[in-house]
Amino acid sequence: MANVVTVNKVRKVYGKANEKQTTALKDVSFNVQAGEFIGIMGASGSGKSTLLNILSTLDKPTAGDVKINNQDVTGLKGNKLSDFRSREVGFIFQDFNLLENLTSRENIALPLSLQGVSAKKIAPQVESIAEKLSITEILDQYPTEISGGQKQRVAAARALVTQPAILFADEPTGALDSHSARELLDTMTTLNKNDGVSILLVTHDPFSASYCQRILFIKDGVIGQELKRKDQDRTTFYHQILDELGTFED
Amino acid sequence: MLWKLALGGIKSRLKDYIVLFSGLTISAAIFYMFQSLASNPEFLKANSTLGMIVFIFYFGSVLLGIITLVYILYANSFLLTMRQRTYAMFMMLGAKSSKIAQLIFIETVAVGVISTVVGSAVGVGLTSIISQVLVKQMDIAITHFSPWSTSAALVTAVFFLVLFAFAAIYNAGKLVKTPVLNLLNQAKTPTRFKRNPVLWGIEVAGGLILLAVGYWSMAQLNTLQLFGLGIALVTIVLGSYFVFDAFFLMIIQLLRRNERFRTKELHSFTLGQLSFRIRDFTRLLSMVSIVFALALGAITVGLGFHDTIQTMAEQISPYDLMLHDPTTASQKQADALSPISVSTYQYKVAGKNVYFLASDFNRAPFKENQPQQRADGSYGVKKVTYGEAEMLKDPTGHTQTLADLVTQKAPYQTITVVNAADYAKVNGTVHSTQLYITKDFMAIKDKLKPLVAADQKQEGSTNANMSMNQKYSVYALYNTMMSGFEFMGLFLGIAFLAMLASCLMFKILSGAASDALRYQMLEKIGTRRSLLKKSIRQEIGTLFVLPGILGVIHVLFGLQMFKVTSLLPQPYHNIWLPFLIFLVLYVLYYFLTVQLYSGIVLHSGKSEEFQRGE
Repeated sequence: MANVVTVNKVRKVYGKANEKQTTALKDVSFNVQAGEFIGIMGASGSGKSTLLNILSTLDKPTAGDVKINNQDVTGLKGNKLSDFRSREVGFIFQDFNLLENLTSRENIALPLSLQGVSAKKIAPQVESIAEKLSITEILDQYPTEISGGQKQRVAAARALVTQPAILFADEPTGALDSHSARELLDTMTTLNKNDGVSILLVTHDPFSASYCQRILFIKDGVIGQELKRKDQDRTTFYHQILDELGTFED
Repeated sequence: MLWKLALGGIKSRLKDYIVLFSGLTISAAIFYMFQSLASNPEFLKANSTLGMIVFIFYFGSVLLGIITLVYILYANSFLLTMRQRTYAMFMMLGAKSSKIAQLIFIETVAVGVISTVVGSAVGVGLTSIISQVLVKQMDIAITHFSPWSTSAALVTAVFFLVLFAFAAIYNAGKLVKTPVLNLLNQAKTPTRFKRNPVLWGIEVAGGLILLAVGYWSMAQLNTLQLFGLGIALVTIVLGSYFVFDAFFLMIIQLLRRNERFRTKELHSFTLGQLSFRIRDFTRLLSMVSIVFALALGAITVGLGFHDTIQTMAEQISPYDLMLHDPTTASQKQADALSPISVSTYQYKVAGKNVYFLASDFNRAPFKENQPQQRADGSYGVKKVTYGEAEMLKDPTGHTQTLADLVTQKAPYQTITVVNAADYAKVNGTVHSTQLYITKDFMAIKDKLKPLVAADQKQEGSTNANMSMNQKYSVYALYNTMMSGFEFMGLFLGIAFLAMLASCLMFKILSGAASDALRYQMLEKIGTRRSLLKKSIRQEIGTLFVLPGILGVIHVLFGLQMFKVTSLLPQPYHNIWLPFLIFLVLYVLYYFLTVQLYSGIVLHSGKSEEFQRGE
């Protein structure tokens, strides 16, 4: 299967050359295959946020390169970078990042407007993604009027409406209650299975991670261990993750 | 320790503080300049023929005071939004709220004291520069004016310090009362926009009707008198408020409903921002539209008076220059101006009688413009020419008409126009007077000045008994009369403009901190920077343009007052000039606001690491 994301020897150093430097990522390499649901786990300060920022083109690596859909994203700048972000990658964040002065519908439609899609085409696309995420009822409500779980679904709809190559999810369940969290993860799994959406989930929560097919563990800027779910059920995989974390933290 | 933290906070936000300081300094400077005029009744009286002018200036300074108050409130809320996170952090670290309140108080008052002192100094400087520039550029004569005024400085100092003390108490109270958590993550959450459509419709209609009534009463000022002014004031203020609260909002909602418009680029975001803002800005925007109208009106009327000088001079005097008994030198000088017509009249002075030669009036009929009141009450002139035949019909009937032509050294009683034969018989001293008409009076008026002065010196006359038949004299007379008005109009206009645009600017800037998050989100989902900038320009542009449009409409109707009361015969003449001056200044403020706002909400290209540090 083709790779949607190729990370090749990515290094990230913070601080100027003559000052004290911190190396957040040390020559990290891995691939994400099309249609994969992959998780990256690590504790605070492990470098997982840095990695996600680089993958999602919000930050640039000091060395190495990142290819998304066979395009090197590390060299992108200005409009090309913005356009790439709006077409090829979707984000969902822990704190939703919805624009609270727009209705859910307007929030979801925004990336399409940015791409210059005509009004006629926007409406059915928004409806269709909203249906998949079961948020048709709340499309005309403002973010302040809906629950956290609903907000995250709207955010997911906004991320997916452009049919990006990959969906990056940064602790998407971090601000949700357990019920909403479970629902969201179920939805993500369905999207992954039925629609073939590639998902990269960054989390420190073993429960969220147990929904993934493959998990990379990152520590001190190095990817140390990899776990594959294979045919195990989720609960077994969950326990395997917990075991792994136990040994990995040592 | 807290002091160190507080000062450190100022240092890290130096740019924002510079904006705040310069804004406050300018407002103090303008207030001082205004006071230096308003507290100077000798100047006002010496420069205006209307006793009302002192009252107008007091009224103006009250108005400016109110605007300054609003301005300081906004500037302080800007200060507060800048600082509240830092203060909340101190509180979280265990600083007592009384200590924090004390710090805020000191900081606010310090900002106030420094900007008042610097502002007053700038005000003195600006006052002297502006008065000099105006005198030079516009041929304005202002008397009894000194840039330094002790009472103005005192009033400014007291006014600003009291305002800042209130603002400080308010800021301190507000910050201490708000829970720390809210201060730490304060983001404005727009609530759903719900309105009863019927009431909304009534408000839209009411606003428009109120404005119409206001405009009508200004046009009927002749019959309604002061009552009309009262009606206009109330209805236009209320009408503007309703128009912003309902009418403009309705237009934005309509645009939001238009699927094709809304889904283009960032339109949905810009409209969302706007409808959120306009509700928040209603009071400010309606105030801005009215002050905008006052400012633009003041400049227009001021320049209108300037225009009047020329028109009046044109209307009253047919001749540009009059030389009594011209010398060869003065004639040469006058010929150098390449006049389009030169009329020479000879006369003889014999005792108490003066005799003019009738054939001179055949060669060049004498022109006179007689002021007349038209049927509709406005004033105009009737152009009269006197030829030879008319003069001979009533030889002694033109003493008044020809009086200006005769040298003042002749103690005559009657002027008689006689034919050549009779003229030859008269035994007396021979004199002549030459009248010049040039192509473009305004272009050569400075060259006329020495000729007129020389003639007046020769005649031994003063301004008091100068000739109304000579354009230069009329021009000089009106110039001294009108320049006072003009100066005040320009001054009031620019002062108001600076204040209202600053108010708008700070109101917009004080919301920038919470807007920054939204722009970050947009950037994360891949919005081009150029689109973000465009959206900012459109949003701020709308906030500037809407009150501007309403203000312009107010002015266009308001000028009716000057027309119907004949204060300005042609208030709409050359109206583009004041509008252009105003527009340039207003647009400068707009760009400044866009620049400052973008600086706060958009991160610089390098630091795209805003998501770091979880």
